[in-house]
Amino acid sequence: MSADLLAAAVRQAGGRIVAALAARYRDLDLAEEAFAEACARAAGAWSREEPPRDAAAWLYRTAERCALDWLRRRQVRQRLRPDPPPPTPTVEDEMSDDASLIPDERLRLIFVCCHPAVAPEARAALTLRLVCGLSTLEIAEAFLLTEATLAQRLVRAKRKIAEAGVPFEIPGPDAWPERLEAVLSTIEIAYSKAHEDAAGAGPHAAYAEEMLGATRVLAELLPREPEVLALAATVRYAEARRPARLDDGGVMVPLAEQDPRFFDRARIAEAEAYLHQAARLNPAGPRALHAAIHSAWCARCSLEEPAPWPAVLRLYDALLTLGDDPVVRLNRAVALNEVMGAAAALAEIEALNGAGLAAFRPYHAVRAALLTKVGRKVEARDAYRRLLALAPPSAERLWLEKCLATLEH
Amino acid sequence: MQYALLIYEDEAIYGPDKAGPAMEEIVSCHMAFNRELGSARIGGAGLKGTVSATTIRTKNGAKSVHDGPYAEAKEQLGGFYLIEAPDLDAAIAIARKVPVLQDGAIEIGPLLGGA
Repeated sequence: MSADLLAAAVRQAGGRIVAALAARYRDLDLAEEAFAEACARAAGAWSREEPPRDAAAWLYRTAERCALDWLRRRQVRQRLRPDPPPPTPTVEDEMSDDASLIPDERLRLIFVCCHPAVAPEARAALTLRLVCGLSTLEIAEAFLLTEATLAQRLVRAKRKIAEAGVPFEIPGPDAWPERLEAVLSTIEIAYSKAHEDAAGAGPHAAYAEEMLGATRVLAELLPREPEVLALAATVRYAEARRPARLDDGGVMVPLAEQDPRFFDRARIAEAEAYLHQAARLNPAGPRALHAAIHSAWCARCSLEEPAPWPAVLRLYDALLTLGDDPVVRLNRAVALNEVMGAAAALAEIEALNGAGLAAFRPYHAVRAALLTKVGRKVEARDAYRRLLALAPPSAERLWLEKCLATLEH
Repeated sequence: MQYALLIYEDEAIYGPDKAGPAMEEIVSCHMAFNRELGSARIGGAGLKGTVSATTIRTKNGAKSVHDGPYAEAKEQLGGFYLIEAPDLDAAIAIARKVPVLQDGAIEIGPLLGGA
C-alpha cells in the first residue's frame, strides 16, 4: 500500500520536486541524489508509520533536508562558512499541499537540459530523466541504447552543465528564439521516436504518454508561445489516431486508410483547443502548419469522406515557403501524388536523391509506393527490400512485406 | 567564472606576415572589442602566423622540437581572450561579439579553478 503511494507520488510529483531542488541548489546531481534518498527514506518510514497525508510534500521536504545536510558537510570540508540553517517549517507549511509548497521550476530545468551547449543527443534523455522522472532503463529502451551507454551520456551531459557553468535561468528575451527552438526540437525528436512505432507496443509505448505530459507542462508554462501550443496540438492529434494505425493483424495502416471511427475524439478536442490558440497568435508558424495538417486528417468522420489531400498539399506548400526542408518535400510529394499523379510526385522525390535521406525509412517507403504506382516494379521491389533492411518496427515491417508481396505476383 | 575564448580563423586572409589591410581592419575591431569588454577582460593576445609557431611533442617521455603549429587545419588558433563572466550564457554573449573577419570559430572553455 505504502509502496503504491510512493510510486504514485514519484510519478506525479517527481519531476517537479527534482526541478525545484535543482533550481534552488544549481546542482543536478545533488537534486537527483537528494530525491532518491528521500524516496529511500519514504519506503522505510511509510511502512513503519502512518503514511503522510501529502506524499509529495513529504518527499520534497525530506529531499530538501538531505540536500542541505550534504551541502553543509561539503562546505565544512571546504572550510567555507555554512549558510544559515533552513527555516523550520511553520504550521502553515505543514498544512499546505505540494502545489503551493513545491515551486514549479520545471521550465527552468527544461531550458537547462536543452541548452545548446548540451550535446543534442543528450538533451531529450536528460529532460525525460530530470523533468519527466523516467528511469535510465526506460529512457535507454526508448532510445534503443544500452542502459550503460545512456547512463554515461547523462553523466557527461550533467558534468558539462556543471563545469561549463550553464546557468539555471530562463534565458533573456534576446536568446529566446534560439533557446526555445532547442527545447521544442528536443521534444519533437523525443516524440517522433514514440510515434514511429504504430503498434505502441514497443519500448516507446509509455513514452508517448510522457510527451503528452511534457507538452502540456510547456503549454501551461508558456501559454503565449504559438509554437509551443502548436506542438502540444500535434502530439495530441498524432496520439488520437493511434487506435486506427494498426489493423487486427497488427499491420500498420497508412494514413489515408486509417478509419476515423477509431480516432480518440477527446484527444482531438484537446488538440483543437491548442491549435486554435496557436493559430490566433501566429497561424503561419511552422509548427502551427504541421498541426493544421494533422487537424485536416483528424477532421475526417469516416472513410467515405474524401481524404483531405488538396488541403494537405496547400499546407505543405505553405511550409516550403518558410524554408526548404527535404522531409517537408518528401511529405508534400505524397500529397502531390494524390492531387497531380504519381509521375509528378516521383520527379520531386528523385530530386531529393542525395539530400541525406538514405537511411530515412519514409523516403524509401514513399519512393517504393510511387515506383509501384507508375509500374516500375523491379525498382519498387528493390526499394522495398532496402527498406526492410533498415529494421522497421514490426507493424511497419508487416505492411511493407504485404506491399512487396503484391509486387511479386 | 573564468573562461578562455580561443579564436580560430583561416590565417591566409591576413596575408603571409599578418600585416595586410585585413589585419589592420581586424586589429581595430579587437581594440573596440577590448574597450567594450572593460573589466570583464582578464587577458588575451593575438598570435603571429603559424609559420612562426614551434611545437614540442612528448612521446614515451622524450621531448622533441618541431617546426609549425600543433595541428594542421583549415583554421588555426589566431588569438585568445581570458574573460570573467557569471555563467556560460554570459560568456556566450561575449564570445558572439569577438570579431571574426570571415569564417571562423570561437571555442569557449571554462578555466580550471576559475569558478
